[in-house]
This record gives sequence, C-alpha cells and structure tokens, in this order.
Amino acid sequence: MIAVSGVTKAYQDGAVRRQVLRGVDLVVARGETAAIVGPSGSGKSTLLNILGALDTPDAGSVRVDGVDLTASRPSALAGFRNRSLGFVFQFHQLLPDFTALENVMMPGRIAGRPTSSLSAQALALLDQVGLADRAGAFPQQLSGGERQRIAICRALVLEPAVLLADEPTGNLDSRSGEQVLELLDTLRRRRDTTMVLVTHNPEVAKRCGAVLRLDGGSLAPG
Amino acid sequence: MGFVWHIAVRYFRSTRADAHIRALSTLTAGGLAVGTAALVLALAALAGFQNLLLEDLARHTPALQIEFGRGAAVEGAAATEGARDLAELAAATNGVAGVQELLYARGWLADDDRPLAVEVLGYEKAPPPWIPVQPEATPRLIVPVSVALRMGLAVGDMVRVVSPRPGLTPVGPRPRARMLPVDLIYRSDRAEDTDDPVLLPLEQASALFARGDRRLDLTLAPDADPEEIGDFLRRGIDPAVATVTTWRQANRALLFVLRLEKGLVFSAVALIVAVASFALLAALSMVLSSKRAEVGVLAAMGAPPARLRRVFLLLGALLSVGGAGLGGAAGAGLAALLDRYRVISTPSDVYVVDYVPFLVRGTDVLVVLAVTVLFTAAAAVIGARKASLLHPVEAMRSART
Ligand SMILES: Nc1ncnc2c1ncn2[C@@H]1O[C@H](COP(=O)(O)OP(=O)(O)OP(=O)(O)O)[C@@H](O)[C@H]1O
Ligand SMILES: [Mg+2]
Repeated sequence: MIAVSGVTKAYQDGAVRRQVLRGVDLVVARGETAAIVGPSGSGKSTLLNILGALDTPDAGSVRVDGVDLTASRPSALAGFRNRSLGFVFQFHQLLPDFTALENVMMPGRIAGRPTSSLSAQALALLDQVGLADRAGAFPQQLSGGERQRIAICRALVLEPAVLLADEPTGNLDSRSGEQVLELLDTLRRRRDTTMVLVTHNPEVAKRCGAVLRLDGGSLAPG
Repeated sequence: MGFVWHIAVRYFRSTRADAHIRALSTLTAGGLAVGTAALVLALAALAGFQNLLLEDLARHTPALQIEFGRGAAVEGAAATEGARDLAELAAATNGVAGVQELLYARGWLADDDRPLAVEVLGYEKAPPPWIPVQPEATPRLIVPVSVALRMGLAVGDMVRVVSPRPGLTPVGPRPRARMLPVDLIYRSDRAEDTDDPVLLPLEQASALFARGDRRLDLTLAPDADPEEIGDFLRRGIDPAVATVTTWRQANRALLFVLRLEKGLVFSAVALIVAVASFALLAALSMVLSSKRAEVGVLAAMGAPPARLRRVFLLLGALLSVGGAGLGGAAGAGLAALLDRYRVISTPSDVYVVDYVPFLVRGTDVLVVLAVTVLFTAAAAVIGARKASLLHPVEAMRSART
C-alpha cells in the first residue's frame, strides 16, 4: 500500500522558488488503483517520482509497500525500486541500444534473473499487447504507441507490488489502450498490485477505484 | 553474461554510431597501440644494448676483487706473503670457484734506446679471459697492438722490460730490467686502447715491480651471489690491508647511468600512453553524456550506482584492451624481427656489434602492460565515477530537452 502525508516539494529556478507540492496526502490500499488527474505542470510527475523513490520530498512522509522512503539510504532504495516497483515513465524512456525484448527484460537482468525464463515471460507480455512480432526491433524502428506498450511491459515484467504509471495510455488508440488496461487488470488480480496512474483520459480514470485531482499543490477528490 | 557485460558490450558497439565518439575511441585504441608498441620496442633496444655492454663488462671485471691498499706498508716478500694468505682464505670460501692474483704497475718497454711508458699487468696461472691466447700456450710477454705499432714490435722480437725502481748492485744502483721475447700481440675491443697493459707472468712481474698494486680476482660458482660472498670476505679481512669490491660496486656509476637511461626513455615514451588515456577519458565522458538519460533509466529501474560505475569501467577496458594488446604484441614481434634480421645497422668502428640488437624481456613487457593498465584504469575510474553520481530524474529530464 501507499501512504503519503504532508509532502511538499519546491524547485529553485534561479532566483525564483516554485512550490510545486504544498502538502499532499494520499492513501492507496493494497490492490487498489488510484488515478491522478490535473493540469499540465501541476506536479503529477513530481509526485510520482517521489512515490517511486526517485526524488525526495522537502517535507512529509512517504511509505510505499511497507518501506519508509524518506528514512532509507540511497543504496537500499535502488534495491527497493528493482524489487517492488514498476515504472512507466511519461516519455517511455526505452533504451535505444537494446531490442524491444531486451528492454522488457532489463529490470529482470538488473535483478539477476536467469535469462531463459525471463525472456519467455517478456515474450508473453509482448504477445498480450500484440507486439510479439516486434520483439527483435529496436526502439527507433517502432511507433510511439508501440514504444509506449513496450515500456508498460517492461514495468510489469517483474510483477511488481506497486506500479507507478505516468500517462500509460497517452499515445494509444482505443484498442491498444484497452489491451494495456486489461494487462494492468490481470496483474492486479494476480499479484494484488497497488497502482497509481497519471492520466488525462477520463475513460481511463473512470475505471480506477479512486480519482484524485492535483491542483494548486495538493490532492482533492476529482 | 551478467548485467554489467550486457550493457557495456552494447555501449561498446554503439561507439561506432557517433562520429565524435568513434574518433575518440579510435584515438584511444590507436594511441595505446602505438604507445605500448613504442615502449616495448624502446625497452627491447635498450635491453639489447645494455645486455651487450654488461656482458662485455662481465668479461673485463671479475665477479669479486680484493685490492690491497694503495701504498700499503708491506712490499716485496711480505706483500707476496700477504697476498698468498688472502688468496688461500678466498679460495677456501664457499662459492668461490677460482682465485687469480694480479699485479698492476707502471714501467717501460725498451727496444734499443727508445723506452716507452706502459701499464704492466702481472698475472698468475693464465692471462685474463679477454686476452685471446691458445689454451695450451704459456706466453711470457704479451703486448697490445697500440704498443707494438709504436715500437715496431713483431712476435719473436726481444724487448727489455724496465722497472722504475732501481736495484742495488755492487757497482751502485742500476735499473732493474729483464730481456723477454714478445710471444703474443693482442687487440682489445676497447675504443680507448692506449691504456691496454703489457702482460707478464706474475713471478716475473713481482721480481721487477715489487711495489705494484696487488689484486685478487675471484671467479664464482654459477649460482653464487657476489654480494653475499663479498660480505663474508669483508668480515675476515682488515680493511686497512685490503678492500673487497663486487662486480656491481666496481661498476656502480655505469650501472646507475644505465638504469637512469632506461627510466628516462621509459618515462618519455610512456607519455604516448598517458595521452591515449586522456583520449579514453574523453571517450568515456562522451559516451556517458550521450547515454545520460539511459543510465538514468537504469538507475531508476534499480541498477545500483556501483554496478553502473562498473559498466563504464568495463567499457573503458573494452576500449583499451585491443589497442594495448595489439601494440604490445606488435612491438615484441617487431623487436624480435629487427634483432633476427639485423635490420638497423651501426658503424662497426663505433661499437662491438654493427647492428642494433633488440632483447624482449618478459619483465619489461609486463611493466609496459602494468603501466598501460594503470593509466587507462585511472582514466576509466575517473570517467566511470560520473555514471554512479547521476541523479535518475535529472538524467532522464536531460533527454527531453
Ligand atoms: N528539476 C526541475 N527544476 C525546476 N523545475 C522543475 C523541475 N522539475 C519539474 N519542475 C517544475 O515543476 C512543475 C511540475 O512539473 P511536473 O513534471 O511534475 O508536471 P506534470 O503535472 O507532470 O505536468 P505534465 O502533465 O505536463 O506532465 C512544473 O512547473 C515544472 O516546470
Ligand atoms: Mg508529467
């Protein structure tokens, strides 16, 4: 589960101090999915980075899957991210030197999983989003929507306890978007995964257990 | 293949894709190849020359020598007696294979009325190894070419050997002298041959030059350590009477110069390797800055900083090992060829050989490789450090703008 309280975050832009989060409280129970909506620049990605132990808040406490992120050492956090978290980045962030399949396998390689079972798992995921035949392609040979789906497979390959996805269906047509949402549903049913999705798509938000709106630096039911 | 290899090998392949990184990685490999080849070649040439020089030195200098104090109070029979005692002591020492007594003095050779000042060397048993005598022959007077030419001497000519110390006769002091036939004329391989001595058997020399400087030359068993035996002898010999000098001590200045020469040449040529290592650092930095966002993603997915650093260390190794290995092998091979076919010649009147000899020593090659590894590892460590210091969010942001 995810429990956040009183999180603040400001960025220093030269002489200007931009307060992005002004006391965010959030609880997502285990196996639940929360959607976060809000205008561009409101701090959705910033909040997701804090939940993912990629960034530290200025104040407040963050507990994810039983770990107090603000009290842990960076080296411990790296292991935690690999073990327990799945990320879908807003700008999919595939590794251009590796094929689609290798990209999907990458979190498992970091974890030191045996490659044979890992690649079978990765291929099965690619198949579920209709990309099995693109497994050997490099990112620059793929369309934006295809890259997006591969990034989602990569986040799911280790079946994480917590999934953080920044606009996972942003670039997708309704059919592909539907495939992705079904994939997330499957994972949640199997692993009881806790999910936080940032989305601009009302259809997607409707399917989540809770919809929260980030505006003016804090969360409110949307 | 683990994660670190997986990433490093792929990044190594990607260095071909970017023109700047390709140029830098080529410069790294090429520079390391040229540097290690030049180092191995330079050391082989030095070792070749120095080896000849040391062999020559070993032929002219005994492993150990015992010199009696200059102007020692003892002379004549007493000196001979003292020398005998020490010779016996030395001969009885473990590891000493042979002892030869020698006597150095200045005297004259006189042929009719033309005396010529010469160095005289009295030897016991057989002449020193650098005199080319037949094994069975027992020559009496051996004259260097320089002296024979000046005096017009030929083998078989009778010549008078004159001592500076007069002998007392009933009719007053008269020069001590002895008439001897020239049995052999020799040519030393030294460039400065004006000091080459006239050689006499020891009894004759002792009789004429009682005040000459006496010396014992020791030959050692093949596995004996000159320093150890030298220390042992020193303990048994009064330093006021005689001093013990090892081969190394006797040639200390020369050996120092040889080492200095080697060090200077090595440092100068090693600069090529240093420059190539800077190219490696630049190449690694460029790879890292072009992969910033991706390294950030790997960190975000939980790759620990230490492993990301190792990716770039390994990448540094991959970028340098080919060039360095190839260069080292090429240098050694080229040195062997140059030596075998005597490709580079020198004027034969300058040195004992008329070509530049090359000697590839295993230890030299190891030192070259060690220095190369040291330089490149330093560059790789500095370059890789940045990979472990990346902030994942900042790094990923950098790709978008
Ligand atoms: N490293 C940074 N330095 C300075 N300002 C930053 C930094 N990161 C984010 N910001 C600012 O913080 C604010 C929130 O950014 P964030 O990316 O969280 O917005 P967002 O809600 O995800 O927007 P979008 O919907 O466009 O993705 C923005 O105004 C952005 O300019
Ligand atoms: Mg965002």
